[in-house]
Amino acid sequence: MNGNLVVLGVALLTWGLLFTYLVRLEKRIRDLEKP
Amino acid sequence: MIARVFLLLWIAAALVAAFLWAPLVPVLGATTRVFYFHFPAALVTCLALGWSMVHSALYLRTRDLAHDDHAAASAELGLLFCVVATVSGSMWAKAMWGAYWNWDPRETSIFFLLLLYGAYLALRASLDEPVRRARLAAVYSCIAFVAVPFLVFVVPRLYFSLHPDPLLNTRGKPDMDWRIMACAGAMLIGLTATFFWMLSLRVRLGRVERRRERSKDAPAVPAGGKS
Repeated sequence: MNGNLVVLGVALLTWGLLFTYLVRLEKRIRDLEKP
Repeated sequence: MIARVFLLLWIAAALVAAFLWAPLVPVLGATTRVFYFHFPAALVTCLALGWSMVHSALYLRTRDLAHDDHAAASAELGLLFCVVATVSGSMWAKAMWGAYWNWDPRETSIFFLLLLYGAYLALRASLDEPVRRARLAAVYSCIAFVAVPFLVFVVPRLYFSLHPDPLLNTRGKPDMDWRIMACAGAMLIGLTATFFWMLSLRVRLGRVERRRERSKDAPAVPAGGKS
């Protein structure tokens, strides 16, 4: 398999996971901010 | 949410372009790709530490704890991006110079930067009283930031370094293919937006924590509202 594509895949997966984590964290903070 | 999705697609597109469209630098080979993480992370570090200093100065002027929240959060994130720049740089150093760490002027500078802001976080962690912590940390941050331009931009230019010429070099013209610069610029914009997003989350979280601490400290009112 092309190593270049593997590294690109890992980078995209990492970014996707970080993005999902941040979206979920934002939702949780929004819930905590409710009085 | 539209802005978030746009950011997701922006960075994904920048990564795909960096890996499949931008050419490789002949001397660097496949390691050219490290540049798309290393360079934006280093610049976002400078931005974050500068942001921390500005809010520290604003805290000293206004005594508003919201500025302290911003200063602390951006210093934490600055340190995080500094670690990303250091780790990606040392991986690059292993591939190009044969060792992960060579005490090159730029590596030594970033090491001192990590120590400087690690001490900032240690200072904050050692103080419990919020107003005292905010005041001392603000003074420290203002003084510490004086060293940042010196460590990042001056020291590596004073001594011989294995590190290649930075993008903003003394000739005033970057020696780089425009496609590489376009991808690095796109990653820089994406990581800067991610930094501000993470910053807003950290600040909001700090505000929630403070509100909860205040409500915990406040005397409990019995049911019915009469004591």
